[in-house]
Amino acid sequence: MRPRQWKSLAATAASAALVAGSALAAGSASASARSTARSAFGVNATGTVTFWARSATDGVTNALVKKFNATHPHLKIQLHLTQPNEASSQLATAIRAGDAPDLVGLNDINVPAFSREGALMNITKYVNALPYKASLSPGHMRLAQFNGKDFGVPYLADLSVLWYNPKLFKEAGISGPPKTFSAMLGDAKKIGALGHGNYGLSFAGDCQGCLGFTMLPSIWASGQHLITGPLGKQKANVARNAPLKALLNVYAQIWKDKLAPHADLAQNGTTWGDDFAKGNIGMLPGDYGFVTKYLGHMPKDEFADAPLPGMNGGPGSTFDGGDDFVIPAGAKNPSGAWEVVKWFLDIAQQKQYPALGDTPVRSDVLSPAFLKQYPYDAVALRTLKHGSVEYTLAYNEVFNAPGSPWMKMFSQAVYSHDLSGALSSGQSGIQSTLDSVGS
Amino acid sequence: MALTAHAEQLQSLPAEVPARKGRTKLSASARREERTGFALIAPAIAVVAVFILFPLGFCVYISLTNWPLVGPYHFIGLANYSALAHNSTFVQSVLFTLKYTAIVTLPILVIGYLLALFVRGNRFGATLFRTCIFLPFIVGITTLSFLAEVELQPGFGSANVVLSKLHILSRDTVWVQNSTLALIAISVLVVWMASGLTMMLLMAGMQGISDELYESAGVDGASWWEKERFVTIPLLRRSIALSLIISVVGSFLAFNQFYIITDGGPGTSTVSVVMEIYETFNTAMRVGGASAMAVVLIVVVGIITFVQFKVLRGEDV
Repeated sequence: MRPRQWKSLAATAASAALVAGSALAAGSASASARSTARSAFGVNATGTVTFWARSATDGVTNALVKKFNATHPHLKIQLHLTQPNEASSQLATAIRAGDAPDLVGLNDINVPAFSREGALMNITKYVNALPYKASLSPGHMRLAQFNGKDFGVPYLADLSVLWYNPKLFKEAGISGPPKTFSAMLGDAKKIGALGHGNYGLSFAGDCQGCLGFTMLPSIWASGQHLITGPLGKQKANVARNAPLKALLNVYAQIWKDKLAPHADLAQNGTTWGDDFAKGNIGMLPGDYGFVTKYLGHMPKDEFADAPLPGMNGGPGSTFDGGDDFVIPAGAKNPSGAWEVVKWFLDIAQQKQYPALGDTPVRSDVLSPAFLKQYPYDAVALRTLKHGSVEYTLAYNEVFNAPGSPWMKMFSQAVYSHDLSGALSSGQSGIQSTLDSVGS
Repeated sequence: MALTAHAEQLQSLPAEVPARKGRTKLSASARREERTGFALIAPAIAVVAVFILFPLGFCVYISLTNWPLVGPYHFIGLANYSALAHNSTFVQSVLFTLKYTAIVTLPILVIGYLLALFVRGNRFGATLFRTCIFLPFIVGITTLSFLAEVELQPGFGSANVVLSKLHILSRDTVWVQNSTLALIAISVLVVWMASGLTMMLLMAGMQGISDELYESAGVDGASWWEKERFVTIPLLRRSIALSLIISVVGSFLAFNQFYIITDGGPGTSTVSVVMEIYETFNTAMRVGGASAMAVVLIVVVGIITFVQFKVLRGEDV
C-alpha cells in the first residue's frame, strides 16, 4: 500500500472512530429535516439547528433555547452542553469527523485557533448587516476576526471588574473606587490601616487564569498589551511595558506590606471572591459574576463594582471574556444558525441575560430602566466598549497553563520581590511560548 | 480474591498439554470443538480489537504526525519522540512521577499488610473496621482531593489547625506553594486511600491460607513473626504482586489529585506525566505530541509491570 493510500485509509478510519462520539452529541439532528434555505440567509429558516454551548453557560442557554423553541414552530434548536474543558476538543473532533454542529458558543479565546484553520464559516457580510454591530463587545469581535474577516459574533460576556467595599472606603476616608494604580495602592494602605482584620485588597494568588483575567485589563486601560503583532509574527511586550511593571509593583507592595490575606497565596479560584463576602476586604479585582454571591448575602453598602483602573486614570477596562457564536464550516443548517444568532442578539433577549446569570454583549442594552434594575451589571456593561483581549493562538499556554510564563513572572515579582528579574524572565518565557506555538 | 483464586486454578492445570501432530489428524468432533471455542471467544476478541487494539494503533499513528486539534496534519516520523527528550517539562514530569511512585508504593503495601493482619481474624469489630478503612477507596480520589484542598487551606484548614496545635507547622502554612509539602500532603492522602484496597486484597489471600499450616508451625515452635515470615508472606506472594502492580500502575497514571490540589504547582514541580499529556492535548492542542507522550507512558508502564511480574511471581510456593 502506498503511503498516500495508507494515510487516506488512516484518515478514514480516524473519522469513523471519531464520528461515534460526535454523533452521540449531535443526536439524530443530522438525519432530521434541515433548512430549505431558499429564503434570505438567516430569515425564515426551517428544520433543526444543532447548538453546542459550554455547560458553564447553561443558565442563559437553557432558558433562551426553551423560549426560542416555544416561539419558532418551523425552526428548532437541539442543544448539547459540552462539559468543562471539553468544548474545543469536542468541536475539533466533530469537525474532523465531518459532523460539525450548526452553531457553537465557543470560549472566545479559542476562536482564533479555529478560524485560522478555516474551520469556521466566514460571516462577514452578515455581521456587517447587523444594525447594532457598533455596540457589540469589541473584544469578542476582535477574537472572532482573522485576516480582516469575521468568523463569529459575541454570544455572552464574562467580564472582570473591581469589587470594592464602600463601607470600608468610607471608614478609611476614601471618596470612591481608585482610578489609577497609585490610588489603588494608597487605598489598600488606608484600608489596611483600619486594622481589626481588614485587608486592602484580595487576589487569587494561585490561579494564573484569574490573575490574567483581572490584571490584563489594567494594562490595556493604560494603552499597552502583553502580546503584539499579527498571528505568526507575534512579539512579547513585557520588558519595556511600563504599565505592567507598575501594576506588578503595586501587587508586590501590597503583598510585602501584608495588605492582602495570607490565604491568597493558596487561592486557586475554587473559592475566589468568598473572602470579600465577609466584609473585611477593601478591594477585589474579580469576576462580575460574583454578584450572585453578594446580592442578598451582603449588606448593600458593603459591595459595589467599578472598572479595573488604568495606570494614570481614564475609563478603565475589562476582560472581554465569555463566548462567541461561531458557525462551523461544515454546518448543515447555517441559515437556521444565523437566524438563531440574530434572535439571541436581539435587544429583547439581551435584556434577559442578567436575570439568567450572564452579561449581555450589546452595550446599547443600557437604558434608564436597565440601569435601575441591574446597577452592578451596568458598570460592567459601560466598560464593555473599553474592554479588550490578548489576540493570540497561545493564550492558554502563555496565561492559563500550569507553570505558565505569566504565572512565573507574577510569582517572581510579587512573592519573591524580584521585579526586574520577573520582567526579564517574562519577556523570554512568553516570547518562547509564542514561537513554539507559531503564534 | 477472585483474581487470586483464578490464578491458583490456572496453576492447577496440567503443566504439559499433549502436542498436536497436525490439523489434518484432528477428528471431526475435535474440529467442531475448536470452532466452538473460537466462536465463544470471538466476541471478546472483537471487543479487545475495537476498543483496545485499534485505539492503541491509532494513537501510535497520531504520534507519528503533527496532528493538531484543528487543521491538516502530515507524517513527521519520530520527530515527536525525539522532541520529548528536549522537552524539559515532560522529562520533569516523568522524574516527578517516578519519585511519587517510589514514595507511596511501600507505605501502601506495608500499611495495607498491617491492616490486613488486624482484620483477618473474626475478632469483634473487624468488619466495621474493615469497612471504615476501605471507605476512602470507595469515595474515590477525586472527592477526596476536593476535601483535601479545603483542609489544607492556610488559616482554617483542619490540617493546619491540628498541626499548629502540635507545634509542627504554622497555621498559615500554604501547602500548595511548597513543592515538598504539596507532595507530602498528596502522598499521605493517596496512602490513606489506597491502603484500604491493599488491605482487602491481602486479607483475601490470608483467608485462603489453611489454619493447619499455622498449627503445624506452632507445633514446631514457630513464633508469631516466624509464622508470618515463613507461612503468610510466601503464600501471599501472588496477592502481594497484584497489590504492588495495581499500586505502581495507579501511581504512574496519577492525575486527579495533582490537577485538583496543586494544578501542577508551584510552577510545574508537581506536574505528573498524565497531567502533562492532558495539558499538551487540551491546552497546547498538540494531539500528535500528546499521543507520543502517551505511547511512551504505555511502554514504560508495560515494562515495569512485566518486570514486577517476573520478579514477584518467581517460583510458586
